[in-house]
Amino acid sequence: MNAPSCISRAAVALHLILLRPFMKLFCGVNVTGRENLEGLEQTIVIANHNSHLDVLLLYYLLPARMICRTHPVADQPYFARSRVLYRLVNFLLIPIWITRGKPDLDHDPFGEIKSAIDSGRSVIIFPEGTRGRPGEMEHFRSGIGRLMAQYPLLPIVPILLTGPDRALPRASALLLPFWNNIIVGPPQKCVGSHREITHQLESVLVDLSRSERACRHKRRSQTVRPARCLAFLGIDGSGKSTASTLAAQRFSESMRVCLVSDELRVFEHGQPRELQPLPSEKLRQRISAYAKTVGSLKQYKIPKLAELLLRDRLLREAGRWYSPDLIVMDGSPLLNLLAWSVLYEQEELDNATCSTALGILSGLTKDISRSDNIFTRFPELARMKRLGLTHLSLPDIVILIDIDSATACRRIEARGQQRQVHETEEKLERLRRAYHQVCEVVRTDWRVPTRILNGGQPLENVMEQVLQFARASLVTKE
Amino acid sequence: MFENLPLLTLIAVFGLLSVARLYRAFGQRRFLFDAYLGYTWLFFLTFIVSELFSYAVSVWILALVSFWAVREYFSLINIRLQDRLALVGAYLSIPFMYYFIQTEWYGMFIVSIPVYAFLAIPILVAWGGRESEGTVFSIGAIDFGLFLFVFCIGHVGYLLSYSVWMAALLILNVLVCDLAICLVRNRVERPIAKILLSWLAPVPIVLALSLALSPWTEIPPIHSIILALMIPVLVQMGHHAGRFVEADLGIQEDLLVPGRGQILDNLQSLFYAAPVMFHYIRYFLK
Repeated sequence: MNAPSCISRAAVALHLILLRPFMKLFCGVNVTGRENLEGLEQTIVIANHNSHLDVLLLYYLLPARMICRTHPVADQPYFARSRVLYRLVNFLLIPIWITRGKPDLDHDPFGEIKSAIDSGRSVIIFPEGTRGRPGEMEHFRSGIGRLMAQYPLLPIVPILLTGPDRALPRASALLLPFWNNIIVGPPQKCVGSHREITHQLESVLVDLSRSERACRHKRRSQTVRPARCLAFLGIDGSGKSTASTLAAQRFSESMRVCLVSDELRVFEHGQPRELQPLPSEKLRQRISAYAKTVGSLKQYKIPKLAELLLRDRLLREAGRWYSPDLIVMDGSPLLNLLAWSVLYEQEELDNATCSTALGILSGLTKDISRSDNIFTRFPELARMKRLGLTHLSLPDIVILIDIDSATACRRIEARGQQRQVHETEEKLERLRRAYHQVCEVVRTDWRVPTRILNGGQPLENVMEQVLQFARASLVTKE
Repeated sequence: MFENLPLLTLIAVFGLLSVARLYRAFGQRRFLFDAYLGYTWLFFLTFIVSELFSYAVSVWILALVSFWAVREYFSLINIRLQDRLALVGAYLSIPFMYYFIQTEWYGMFIVSIPVYAFLAIPILVAWGGRESEGTVFSIGAIDFGLFLFVFCIGHVGYLLSYSVWMAALLILNVLVCDLAICLVRNRVERPIAKILLSWLAPVPIVLALSLALSPWTEIPPIHSIILALMIPVLVQMGHHAGRFVEADLGIQEDLLVPGRGQILDNLQSLFYAAPVMFHYIRYFLK
C-alpha cells in the first residue's frame, strides 16, 4: 500500500490565504497551549468531534510546514454521498479513507493509516468515530488504542475543541459566527494494551474539557442519553394505539416518555405535557387523514409511504428536541413499511430477502452492490436509496399485539368510522402474517428483543405483560 | 497651519496609540492601560478614517466592533441549540441599525433595535423553538446582547456624525475614568473611599480635557463641567453592572483574551457613558 500523496501547494495556499483568515475573522479562534506542538515532526492528533468545522480548526492550528504532510482519517461512504464534497475534501485534506462499521476480516482496517505513519506523515484521528451530540463527548472507540499499541514511540497530541458544536452543529447547514477554542494538551506516549491506551487518552481529553468548562456560562446541566425506542406492532383493531398510550403513561411515572402515535405527545410524571407543534408533524397528520379516505390500495401506497417517512423523521426530531428517555411508537415506520411491502407483493417473501430489505431500509447494511437482485425485484428500494431515504430507525424493543382478523374487523366496525381500503378480513389476515414474519426476522437476524402477545385477552393482562417485558428488556439493554 | 490643528492632533494621538501598540506587541513591558489600548486604538482609527476618507467607512468599522462584541457574548452565554434562527436575526440587526446611522436617519436609528429587533427576536425564537422551556431566558439573553453591544455602541457612531471631536472626547474621557478605576481598585481598601475616589479622581483630568477641547467640540463650558461630573459616574456604573454580567458568564479576570471576555470587559465602560452623553448633547446642544 502506498502512502497518500502530499497536499498540493495550491491547497496549502488555500489553507493559508483563505481558510485561516476566514476562521479567524468570521468565526474567531483562540488557541491555548500551542507550545505543546513545538518541535514535533510527526504526531498523531486526536480531538473530540462535534462538527465539520473540527478538521478545519485543526489545520488552522498546524504550522504551515506540517499542513502538507498531515492527513485526517475519514469515513468514505459518508463523504462519497456528494461528489462535489468528495472532490473538495480530497483536494484540501487528502484524507485517509476508511469505512466505518463491521471490520473486514481479510483486510487490515489500519493498513492505510499504518503506511501513512510509516512514511512519516502525521495523522488526525477523531476517536469518537462520529460527530456526537452537540457539546458532549462520547466514549472513544477502541480503534485508536489498537493503532497506537503498535506505535509506542509516536507522540499523540490530544486537542479539545469547544465552540464548533455551536457554530456548525450536526444536522444544521448554516454556519454561525461563534468563538472557537482550541486547547492543546501535552503530547502523550502510550504503552500498554489497547484498552488501557484508549482509556488513558479519553481521560486526558475529559480532564482538558473539565478545566475548560469552568469558564463558560452555565444555565442548567442536563445529561442527555439517546432515547430507547419501544414499538408496538399489530393490525388495525388490535388495540395497539390504546396499548401504546397506556404504556407511555405508565412508563412516564419514572422517566420522560415521548409517544409517537396519531399525534405526538410527551408524558412526564404520568401527565401529558404541552408542546410546541412541529411543522412536519402537521403535514404528517394531513397526509394521514387523506390516506384514510382513499378508495384503492394503489392510491393508498404513496400517501402511506410519505406518512411513514415523515413519522420516522418525527421520531428523530422528537429524540433531538424533547430529549426523552423512552420513545413509545404506535407502529414502527421501518417494520410497517416491510409488512406493507409484503401485502403489496403478491407472492410470499422469504426471511432472507426480508432481512436484506430491512438492512437496506435502515441503512445498517452498507456493503450492498447496486446490481444486487433485490433492487431489480423491488425497484422502489433502489429509488428510495437514491433519494437518500434509507435510514429509517430500527426500534430497540418490539411488541406485536396479535389478534385474528375476524375480531379485528368486528372491533373496527364497532368504532363506527369509515373503513379504510385495507380493512377487509382477507387483507388484514395477510398483513397479520406479514407482521409475524417481520417480527421473526427482527428477532433472529437483528437481535432485537421481540414479544408476541395475544390481543384477544383483556387489556389489563396485555398491559401487564407489556410492562414486564419492556422493563426487563430495558434493563438488559443497559 | 492652525486651521489644520484639530486634524493634526487627532493624527498625533492615533500615532501615539499605534506606537504604544507596536511596542506592546514586540516588547515585554506591560502598561497600565494595556487592556484598554486595543479598543482605544480602534476607535481612534475610525475617527481618523472619518476625517480623512469617509464617514460611511468609519461607521462600518464600528459595525465590525459591534459584531465582534456580540459574537463574543453569544459564545459565552448558554444559548439553546434551537435558537439559531434568532441568532441569525440578531447578527442581521447589526447592518440594519448601522445603515440608518450611515444615512444619519435619527428617527429610524433610535427605534431600529428597541422596536424592530426587540420584537423580531421573540418571534424568531418561537419559530425556531422546539420546546417552550428556556424561551424567556433565550429571548432575554439575545435582546440584552443586542441592546448592549449593538445599540449602545451605535451611539458612538451617531455621535461621530455630529462631530468627530465629540466622539473623541467621549473615548478619551472614558479611557481616563477606566484608568482611574484600575488604579484605585487594587490600592484602596474601604468601599466608600473606593467609590468616591474612582468618581472624583478623574474629574479634574476629564474637566481639563473637556475645556481644552471645547473650541473643537463646540460644547459650552457649563455643559463641559456637567459632563465631566457625569461621565465618571456613568463609567463606574458600567463597570459595576459589567462585573456582575461577567461573573455570571464565567469570565475570569486572569483569563481575559478575545473570545473569553476581553471585548466585553473593555467595552463595558461605554455602555452607560455613550448613550447618555449622546442624548445629553442631542437634547441641549442640537
